[in-house]
Amino acid sequence: MKIKNLIAVAGFAFFGGIFRYLFSLSLNEWGILIANLLGCFLLSFLTYYAIERDLLAGWLNLGLGTGLIGAFTTFSSFTTSVINLATSNFLIASGYFLVSLLGGFLAALIGYLLARLLVEMEGNR
Amino acid sequence: MILVGLGASCGALLRYLFTYFWKKTRIDWPLATLFINLTGAFCLGLLVHNFPSSQFTTLFWETGFLGGYTTFSTLNTELITMYNERQWKNLLFYGCLTYFGGLCLVWFAFHL
Repeated sequence: MKIKNLIAVAGFAFFGGIFRYLFSLSLNEWGILIANLLGCFLLSFLTYYAIERDLLAGWLNLGLGTGLIGAFTTFSSFTTSVINLATSNFLIASGYFLVSLLGGFLAALIGYLLARLLVEMEGNR
Repeated sequence: MILVGLGASCGALLRYLFTYFWKKTRIDWPLATLFINLTGAFCLGLLVHNFPSSQFTTLFWETGFLGGYTTFSTLNTELITMYNERQWKNLLFYGCLTYFGGLCLVWFAFHL
């Protein structure tokens, strides 16, 4: 385990956490939803475009993927929001849960497909 | 805002350590992420519902540490990898365990 990697994860996570906080300040649980969906797209794209092909240095992969985007998205606030919403309005809570579940998977799928498309286009050049 | 950032750094470091050591076992199943998300969800449920809230707890521990410790993007990227490798059973099992396990644990934490 390299110290450089640990510093990269912690340093980038500092900003990932703050970005998420800013989203949640203005939009509450809906800000968390946007951060989560955006993060799924970005991490999946980064993984399949750059990390799988070793385009970036190892510490930068970890900084951006595990640190920045990993800390930008959150699972704990998502589940707590669902249970909180369910106590007042079960329908909104179910909607929030389903949009997160399906949207997160779809956002990651779009990131993956876009990365594959770009890689193929570069290969044909 | 600095408190949130510092908490997120510590949480992400702990998440990195768990996944780093799990990868050393060379078992090709994301148990580390599952463990992180479930324990993080349970702890947040406990904090929110059973402990007196202060500004420090909310910013450092809840939004920062547990927010940075748990992750939604890694979960979905791992699901895409399973989708990509046509591991349908794993995908369904991992997805259900994370989502329903997380919800159950938070509900449990709220009712302790």
